[in-house]
Amino acid sequence: MSDAGENRPKSSVREERLDEIRRQASERGSLQQPGVRAIGSPLPKASPQTGYYQQPLLKQPQWTPLVPLYFFVGGASGALGVIGSLADLLGADDELALKARNMATAGSAISSVFLIADLGRPSRFLNMLRVFKPQSVMSVGSWVLSGFGASAACSTLADILDTQVDGSAISSFLRSVGRTGCTVLGMPFHNYTGVLIGASVIPVWNNRIRSLPREFGMSGLQSAVGLLELAGETDSNALNAIGLVASAFETWEGLELLRARDREVAPTKEGLSGALIQTGGVLSGPVPIVLRLASLFTRRRRRGLRHAAALSGIIGSLCLRYGWVAAGTASARNWKIPLDIPDQEEKQSSQELAARG
Amino acid sequence: MPGLGTSVGRGGATTAQQSLADSDAILIMGSSMAEQHPVGFQWVVEARERGCRVIHVDPRFTRTSACADMWVPLRAGTDILFLGALIRYVLENDRWFKDYVVHYTNASTILREDYVDAEDGAGLFSGWDDEKKQYTPETWLYEGSEPKQSGGSHAGHHPAGGGHAKDRGGEAGHSEQFETDETLQHPRCVFQVLKRHFARYTPELVERSCGIPKDVFLKVAETYIAASGPQKTGCICYAVGWTQHSTGVQIIRAAAILQLLLGNIGRPGGGILALRGHASIQGSTDIPTLYDILPAYMPMPFFEDDAKNFEAYVKKHTTEAGLWSKFETFMVSFLKAWYGDAATKENQWGFNYLPRVTGDHSELGYWLDMADGKLDGLFVMGQNPAVGAPNGRLQRKAMANLKWLVVRDLVETETASFWKDSPEVERGELRPEDIGTEVFLMPAAGPAEKSGSFTNTQRLLQWHNKAVDAPGDARSELWFAYHLGRMLKERAARERNAKNAALNALTWAIPTRGSVGEPDAESVLAEINGRNLTTGKLLSTFEDLKNDGSTMSGCWIYTGVMPEEGRNRANIREAKDSLGHGWGFAWPKDTRIIYNRASARPDGTPWSEEKKFVWWDSEKREWTGKDISDFKKDMPPDHKGDLSKGGLEALDGDKPFGMHPDGRGWLYVNSGLKDGPLPTHFEPLESPVRNPLYPAHQTNPPTNKKERPDNRYANSPGDPRFPFVLTTYRLTEHHTAGGMSRALSHLSELQPELFAEISPELAELTGISPNDWVTIVTPRALISARALITARMSVLEIEGRQIHQVGLPYHWGWKGLVTGDVANDLLALSQEPNVRIMETKGLVCNLIPGRHPAGHAALDELHELLEERP
Amino acid sequence: MSGATDHTGIQPGEITAFLTDSTLCIGCKACEVACKEWNDISADGFDFTGWSYDNTGALGHATWRHVKFVEGQITPGIGGNSAEQFSWEFSSDVCKHCEVAGCLEACPTGSLVRTEFGSVFLQPDICNGCSYCVISCPFGVVQKDEDDGRAFKCTFCTDRQKAGLMPACAKACPTESIKFGRHDELRIEAQVRLATLQARGMADAQIYDPTDSSVKGIHSMFIIRGEPETYNLPPKPEVPSIYLKEGWKSAAFEAVAMVGAVVASFFLLGRKG
Repeated sequence: MSDAGENRPKSSVREERLDEIRRQASERGSLQQPGVRAIGSPLPKASPQTGYYQQPLLKQPQWTPLVPLYFFVGGASGALGVIGSLADLLGADDELALKARNMATAGSAISSVFLIADLGRPSRFLNMLRVFKPQSVMSVGSWVLSGFGASAACSTLADILDTQVDGSAISSFLRSVGRTGCTVLGMPFHNYTGVLIGASVIPVWNNRIRSLPREFGMSGLQSAVGLLELAGETDSNALNAIGLVASAFETWEGLELLRARDREVAPTKEGLSGALIQTGGVLSGPVPIVLRLASLFTRRRRRGLRHAAALSGIIGSLCLRYGWVAAGTASARNWKIPLDIPDQEEKQSSQELAARG
Repeated sequence: MPGLGTSVGRGGATTAQQSLADSDAILIMGSSMAEQHPVGFQWVVEARERGCRVIHVDPRFTRTSACADMWVPLRAGTDILFLGALIRYVLENDRWFKDYVVHYTNASTILREDYVDAEDGAGLFSGWDDEKKQYTPETWLYEGSEPKQSGGSHAGHHPAGGGHAKDRGGEAGHSEQFETDETLQHPRCVFQVLKRHFARYTPELVERSCGIPKDVFLKVAETYIAASGPQKTGCICYAVGWTQHSTGVQIIRAAAILQLLLGNIGRPGGGILALRGHASIQGSTDIPTLYDILPAYMPMPFFEDDAKNFEAYVKKHTTEAGLWSKFETFMVSFLKAWYGDAATKENQWGFNYLPRVTGDHSELGYWLDMADGKLDGLFVMGQNPAVGAPNGRLQRKAMANLKWLVVRDLVETETASFWKDSPEVERGELRPEDIGTEVFLMPAAGPAEKSGSFTNTQRLLQWHNKAVDAPGDARSELWFAYHLGRMLKERAARERNAKNAALNALTWAIPTRGSVGEPDAESVLAEINGRNLTTGKLLSTFEDLKNDGSTMSGCWIYTGVMPEEGRNRANIREAKDSLGHGWGFAWPKDTRIIYNRASARPDGTPWSEEKKFVWWDSEKREWTGKDISDFKKDMPPDHKGDLSKGGLEALDGDKPFGMHPDGRGWLYVNSGLKDGPLPTHFEPLESPVRNPLYPAHQTNPPTNKKERPDNRYANSPGDPRFPFVLTTYRLTEHHTAGGMSRALSHLSELQPELFAEISPELAELTGISPNDWVTIVTPRALISARALITARMSVLEIEGRQIHQVGLPYHWGWKGLVTGDVANDLLALSQEPNVRIMETKGLVCNLIPGRHPAGHAALDELHELLEERP
Repeated sequence: MSGATDHTGIQPGEITAFLTDSTLCIGCKACEVACKEWNDISADGFDFTGWSYDNTGALGHATWRHVKFVEGQITPGIGGNSAEQFSWEFSSDVCKHCEVAGCLEACPTGSLVRTEFGSVFLQPDICNGCSYCVISCPFGVVQKDEDDGRAFKCTFCTDRQKAGLMPACAKACPTESIKFGRHDELRIEAQVRLATLQARGMADAQIYDPTDSSVKGIHSMFIIRGEPETYNLPPKPEVPSIYLKEGWKSAAFEAVAMVGAVVASFFLLGRKG
């Protein structure tokens, strides 16, 4: 076996690391790493109370930071697609609708790039379209993305054609296909990622299977509104209203989450993931509400307030996505939940061990 | 090996691993069989599932203990106390298998009046020479046996060694002459002597000194003894945990005594399974790489009067009864194999071409010579003494004194690179520029790259067929040895003088094949098997060997492995029965359970239907059954021994141990073992405890400690600098010194670091944190290991105080994918009196939390610990 | 005995299974090594864990058989096989090849398939490393190899089974602790074995085969002593598809709400003129 090169020890415990661990122990009084323990501390154990040496049973999500970004872009794009198509249908602002459609097309392309880049074997992205499996959210999502992207492209193509030639049959065909596709597929596309992570074994995610699609969806809607406003559509009261609805929804979701007491949702309130989610919740919820309401009462500062609300919503949306993915990683590290081991028992057993010396 | 050889006649396992499936109780001691013989262990598990009780006695709770019904912790080095107590229990409670003992053992033989037992000699038997530090066995002989010594040493008692050849023992006297008392009442009969010898090995002593609670001991005794008698059998499995002791041979003797008393030898599910420590180590003593024996356990001649000529040599080693009465035949056939036409009756069959043993040429013996600069060159083939031999520092520094060193191995082992990266170089004790040793590293072919045989622990020859060519310059041992010999012979042919006479006489005609000239291994096997030189035909049994030079055989115990051209029985894998007949060839004659005459009553009928094995068919007038009979096939059970006929016919028809001149299993060994006819408890060379039985003799008197400044010992008993007992052992995941396993990622990742197993109590006592570094110190060296704190290392109550034990596997060195300190650096280089093996299983140490400093500072710390804390 | 004949006689279409019986395991790790050798898997780290003799840690992309070591109560006189006490147990973990497999359901490329032997097989030539299977396995088995980009797990030696051979781990196991055979036969054998063990007084012996969860039973069954939690075996493993209905319902609700909000807003506030 030509092992020698590839299999050099990647991480052996060397003396420097042990010194570091000892220093950490004396400074903080606790150790974060598995392995070395302080003198007299309970020995690592496998038991019904401690599981298998307190090692997490589940595997951690292996997505790169591109995935939360994809969640954000995709969510916004889906909502933009719906807005762009429905605004047209309802005879609302043409310019706004066009911007929405263009952003939807750009967004679906960009989000595809993110998704493909995150793959372990990006060149094989088309394999996603080998099969259609309704029981796989990722399969459904891949097809929805493809369909939505195609529809958005059709819409944009129709828009382009319309600038060149008036009332051509092709462009009206493309327009119908595009608008229909963007609406029908934009609905799942903007919020399916909530189902994607909720339908997994990660405790914090599947515990919130009902709220995640709603939260991601409304967050996407709010980002769509924000992006349009940042692109100049600060005069649209309709957009503002949509934004208000979205942030009201987000506020309610945030409060619901705070009230949830299951230990599975702890990562949404503790650590980095908790900080990101709570921050995101505030920036997606109460802050835009205040800003948007305020924007109704002033004409001069309307633009600034709506820009602020947009940014708040967008940043909040990003924080939420990153926060939820981080929460998944933290949740996967919990060794007790998959084994149904209650928290008190572990405390009790470690007390017992400490008492026994 | 001499432990078994002297007790029953051959130095090897008496049974096959498959036979364990028929056991009713299995005692595993001095071995962690599940870890070291995992494939063989399947039959232990099979037996266990059928209701057999498995008992594991070991200082640690190992993976074997996890599969056993009982685990018995004991203080390392107290095996004879434990076994002796079992023997005593059997005798005191009358639980011995009477018919078996009376007829098949030497229990009834009467000893001389001037025999003094160790019990009466405060630890010493009669015949002790305090100056020479050795015994003369004359007083141990049977009453009526004339001593045979004529001008040299007593056979088996030469100071230069020769323990392995005495696997049959008893040659110091005419042991076929003796008197018996079949009522076993005579005060000097072996049975009564045995009773007196073990009288003080009580369960109370076991509790006090081994640390085994009395009720546990009694449970073990009852469980094991209940599995004996006509309908039940028990087997004892042991390995290096017994042999690597300064009393190793005697420990095995104790087991043999127990098994003979319980009537277990030669019966299915019974016997003693000597689990050898290496894949072909049985083979390496059968066709030996040992200095004191020739193939098939014939003794290498010594430089003494008894070996001046062939006649005297043969006279010394021939017995008048038993299989060794054919000694001359075996020897002549062997010499014809080596010297062919150059061996004639006129030149004593080339006997004088054989070298003579002039001193202690054992590995540990010559290594000390090497350390003293007396050796020029060394071949190290498939061995890694820099890591695998005791007192690693001495080993490596000794190699620096060589002029040349040839290392043949699959990888660059520590032995090959000691001169540039050993700890001695790192510490500045040796400098590469000062080392004059020229090192030749020759690549070796791996197991699948060459053909040849392995002889495994149950005497089984299995052929391996070459699967692929070795890469590049890698060559097999056979190729190396053959071509080296060929080149030496070519040179010797050009300079024909007395010095080169032996080389010129040597037959060396093995056909070679292929572009590299690979010698045909089966031709070598054919030579080992033997041929009739007149007809040219291969022999099918050693009974066809002659003493007139018309036959040849390289190793008579293997005769039959290749009974005709093209039929290599070692290469056939068609097991026909549960014992494995048809799969390989077990010497002798494919007998799987040797001494199997003992599986039948004196009258030839089976002891019981359950344990029917080999019996006398009175119609066909032959022995028949489930195995090849280890007995003359047509000799009836009522045959009366006729001394005038010699050989096997000189023995009675109810004497199963045909290698012995009296045909009996020896509870008492009248000569052949240098440290006594009966096992006696002595403490290991380093011990925290005084010998409870013989305070005047702490350790085995004839043991050679080879004490010198670079081989220091702790003060025994109870050196306060080293309060803990240390024992070393192996893990399943690695192989010996790790040369092969630490080069493989799949094995290295299973056990990546050297660790020491320490009880939680000891960890707290010494302030060691789990998984952190701990430094282990002995008078020889200090090393660091990771601390694996586990309750499987128990604390023992010995003589009212707590004795802690530390466990250390020894697989690490500084090369390979995973590295670690060399555990063998801690050990002393000592020599058990019979086989010159070192004591690795019981020594003393101290523990210091943390890792030892790098470089020379480590040595400073060691010296400080040795000198400044008296 | 896995003796002279190699061939199992099992035809494609017959559902096969493992029964890994810890009471026969000697902790030798031959299964780990045989698996790596047969499948040419690399080593995955040389880390000393201090978890008894287990330096492997867990199943992963480069470990498909993993022997767990659990130390219990050590008492002189009592061996590990004794019914009265749990001293030191060894249990060889492997992919469960679930009857209803979370990884299989989650795989969007169709790389994970059910073979003709009932095993769950990941086709490495199709997998594009989306790693969705990784978070869909309730046993924490399948994992993506970050360097290679694809996910890997135990193949149940489907290649060997196709040739009528038993998986490498079962072949190597010296005590037949890892039993391989037809699923229905091994299910019965497990019951028989459990009854035998309990008759000997081993009250803590159990079969681990979670048939009353959404996984609906596993093709790699275990006989263990003690509780499954000790071995990181989830007492009630669930496949993520049980959450699909609620998830999509919620998504649908929100999507309708979104459309409603957009329509209402534009209708009421956004029309031209």
